[in-house]
Amino acid sequence: MKLKRLLVSLISVSLLFLAPGCAKKSIDTTELSQSDSLENGDLTVIGFSQLGAESDWRSANTQSMKETFTEENGYRLIFEDGQQKQANQIMAIRKFIQQDVDYIVLAPVTETGWDTVLREAKDAGIPVIIVDRMVDVDDDSLYECWVGSDFKLEGLKVCTWLSEYCKKKHIDPSTLRIVDLQGNLGATAQIGRTIGLSESARKYGWSVLEYVPADFTQTKGREVMSNLLEKYNNINVVYCENDNEALGAIEAIEAAGRKAGSDIKNGEIMVLSFDGVNEEARKYVTENKISCIAECNPHHGPRVKGIIEKLKSGQEPPKLSYVGEEIYVHDNAVDKIRIDNIEYSITVLELE
Amino acid sequence: MNKGKSFSFSKIFRNQLIIPLAALVLLVLFNLIMDPNFFKITLGQNSLGNPVLSGSIITILDNGSELAILAIGMTLVTAASGGQDISVGANVAIAGSVMLRILCGKGDNAEMQAPVIVAFLAACVVSMLFGAFNGVLVAYFKIQPMVATLILYTAGRSIAAWINNNELPIVNDPSFGYFGGFIPGIPMPTPFFIAIACLIVITLILKFTTLGLYTQAVGINESSSKLNGLNPKVIKLLTFVILGLCVAVVGFIKVSRISTINYSVIAKDIEMDAILAVALGGNALSGGKFNMYASILGAYIIQFLTTTLYKYKVSADALPAYKAVVVILLVVFSAPTVREWMSKTFNNLKGKSAKKEVA
Amino acid sequence: MENKKKAGFSVKNMSDTNLLLTITIVIFFLMYIGAMIFLKKGFLKPQTFFNVLNTNAALIITACGMSLVMITGGIDISVGGVVALVSMSCAVLLDQKGGSIPQAILLAIAIGLAYGLVQGVLVAYLDIQPFIVSLAGMFFARGMTTIVNNQPFNVAHEGFVALKDTRIIIPCLGSVNKKGVFIPAYIEIGVIVALLVVILLFVMLRWTKFGRRFYAVGGNRQSALMLGINVKFTKFMSHIICSTLAGIGGFVYFMHVGSGSPSHAMGMEMNAIASSIIGGTMLTGGVGNIIGTLFGVMSLSTIQNIVSSAGLDQAWWTGITIAAMLCLFLVIQSVVMAFKKKNS
Repeated sequence: MKLKRLLVSLISVSLLFLAPGCAKKSIDTTELSQSDSLENGDLTVIGFSQLGAESDWRSANTQSMKETFTEENGYRLIFEDGQQKQANQIMAIRKFIQQDVDYIVLAPVTETGWDTVLREAKDAGIPVIIVDRMVDVDDDSLYECWVGSDFKLEGLKVCTWLSEYCKKKHIDPSTLRIVDLQGNLGATAQIGRTIGLSESARKYGWSVLEYVPADFTQTKGREVMSNLLEKYNNINVVYCENDNEALGAIEAIEAAGRKAGSDIKNGEIMVLSFDGVNEEARKYVTENKISCIAECNPHHGPRVKGIIEKLKSGQEPPKLSYVGEEIYVHDNAVDKIRIDNIEYSITVLELE
Repeated sequence: MNKGKSFSFSKIFRNQLIIPLAALVLLVLFNLIMDPNFFKITLGQNSLGNPVLSGSIITILDNGSELAILAIGMTLVTAASGGQDISVGANVAIAGSVMLRILCGKGDNAEMQAPVIVAFLAACVVSMLFGAFNGVLVAYFKIQPMVATLILYTAGRSIAAWINNNELPIVNDPSFGYFGGFIPGIPMPTPFFIAIACLIVITLILKFTTLGLYTQAVGINESSSKLNGLNPKVIKLLTFVILGLCVAVVGFIKVSRISTINYSVIAKDIEMDAILAVALGGNALSGGKFNMYASILGAYIIQFLTTTLYKYKVSADALPAYKAVVVILLVVFSAPTVREWMSKTFNNLKGKSAKKEVA
Repeated sequence: MENKKKAGFSVKNMSDTNLLLTITIVIFFLMYIGAMIFLKKGFLKPQTFFNVLNTNAALIITACGMSLVMITGGIDISVGGVVALVSMSCAVLLDQKGGSIPQAILLAIAIGLAYGLVQGVLVAYLDIQPFIVSLAGMFFARGMTTIVNNQPFNVAHEGFVALKDTRIIIPCLGSVNKKGVFIPAYIEIGVIVALLVVILLFVMLRWTKFGRRFYAVGGNRQSALMLGINVKFTKFMSHIICSTLAGIGGFVYFMHVGSGSPSHAMGMEMNAIASSIIGGTMLTGGVGNIIGTLFGVMSLSTIQNIVSSAGLDQAWWTGITIAAMLCLFLVIQSVVMAFKKKNS
């Protein structure tokens, strides 16, 4: 009985607390915004919802944001890690709206399911900048602009390089047996890079044995690759959709007693990869274990800052902006490639 | 004669090893019929020019090792406390993270900062401490094991990331990879030998100490074991510490396999498989009597099943659905009520046919 | 002391339940008021609180089912998988098979019921460990989700989008942000469903004979048998209700995210168990309260909110604080119960 009384009194006390708080805030909002801006000084508040920390690329991306939006530069960054869950990211955006941020930066975990929450942000008058992966919404005015990589172009870069390389080394394209270690299904990078491969395979007459998701992780890459090696004994090219998968695939290849390298005529398995952020992967390029990496630039911070400054001064930023990206290879058998009449130079990585 | 036969039948159906063994035989037969190549073992060379064996059987022995080692500790915990530790996967992440922290130190270092054995011992100490934490909650605070270990289940991977400041350190020294791969000159994967070593150690312990007996006594009846002069709390705590040691060994193999770590993925859901191994071995999850070898057999059956399913192009994501069907069939057949019913029916059949013979 | 009169045979359990419930609610309010005073940052706005409800409506529903199973001394770790399976199946039905919303709701409930039937029979009548049964259930649901469709996708079904975007505006609690835009306070339909479930289960467990049986079975199987309670049937029913609620929770989750994906509701079962424990339900059975579970879910979400608002933005802090909170609750519960036992 005592407990019950305690309980009731507690609830009523806290309701008392809640009620005037709410009432005051809803009527006297000018005071709130004043005190808020006083608290933050003249800092521009940015809410950044990152999807997680699953790969080296992601960590570099987060780091770039944190280094750009510092208090010295006149910003305050509220960072929320979504831990790979969309529900967490939706919650984070709603929180940003309640915390009255000036801009929201979103690195979405998947492309779908953002309509509702982005509309809420738009209704609240907060511009949203999407980075890295794309969002798939009916009305593209829901976000201000997108910053990231052209993933399909990355895929095409690697495939065009492979085609040129085969020409130079007199390898018959129809002898290529490719497996694709895909990323998380539904991620923009996965979709673009897979399309890049499937289009090129059709164009050049390669055979792709299987497309298997390996979640962008090393562990999964290793597991998937060792299963594939057991299933097929004639694989000669493995197309890994990020560096971590490539590292895992190389381990699996070596554990199965095969060799990773460009010399596919002599039984080596060629590893193609993306990102170029991981130090070990770059080292592998110099050792010719990975034949070609299309870079995916994680340093989005400065680009996003540029867009925010444009928005502040009332200019309209371009809807889509791509970051510049290179192609890393081991030798100079191919020195440049052309895709859609644009020439891309190729960087040979040397031992440092 | 009649009596003798019925006795042996009920014995067969009550024998703990019958279900896992039958499952194993079925899996082997299935693969033999579908594709005898499953059992082919080839000797190849890896990129360093060392001889290595490869083939599905080697994959099973290799990848099943971690599960088998965990099954040892999990069986003891289950027997003593009548509950399961669901934090092993997270603890593996912690152990691996501790090892890498010591091996790689701060910043980018090309060489290892400490001998592997030091890192391993440190990981053992840390894992045993976390095991003891679980053990204290279970034994002294009397919290159900699953709930108590839920704490570390939630925090473990976060702690692991914290230890290395969320970086993913890489060990460049190739010798570190020997423990999860191959030692030059030996064509069998090292994890297999580590699992064998653990098995020998636990066999010796069970044979020459009273650990096995005491654990079962505590699991069967805590208060009567107390009356017999045992200290159930200490024994429960001890089983969790032993599991901690197993976890450290598994963490070592796991990080050695990839020379680095991924906090959210390493040993993911391995706790579920480890518990499953104990259950498939026919051990009661409510504690008491246990059979260590049955659990280890259970672990390899799970791996056998996984490898078989991969072979038949079941995608990694759909795999759990097939696994679930097999698991349900296995547990239904090993359920006491079903077994009772089966042995009764068989006895009746035998009895009837015997009667007919007599007539 | 009206409780004691009505509770009949399990007076002792009832008071345990109340004690743990009180601890939960007190800690929740202390936490929230603390955040309001020290962190401000949006905690003063009522919508922050409603967002906790909006985000966790599905978790509240599944956690209620989980509490019920835990009260009978069982466990069900398949609920997260069921939620994912339901949202994926409903998404496919609406988007690709041209189904209607009532059909989708029926499908959700049917999947839940089917799960409850199978698991209930295996646990209650074949006496197999609930942990293993529901573990297999989880594996099956997760695998089936990717078999149904392995790609995440949006549902464009018009009626569904309208339903998903339906808001119940709460008057007088909105606020104006610094850009001068008025943001109304609102809750989603899922919250209404969740609160209904909470109320219904609460009433059932507290005031119906049927409900009291769950406590009796979890508290002491032997005496429950002696009282003439059908233990097997009661356990069976707990699984039926839990899985059906997981099905409904799956639909509410689906309404919240509006898409199907194999990675939906990952780890939800553990959140449901954690919420139940924080809410004062004991895994040994016989003790627990649905209102506590509601507060458990809200505490869990609020602590995450506080951690990231306090500037501890590294991902690991969330995991560590939730674990610390769980640990605190468990130790308090264990100490309080031991103290009570000694005194009585």
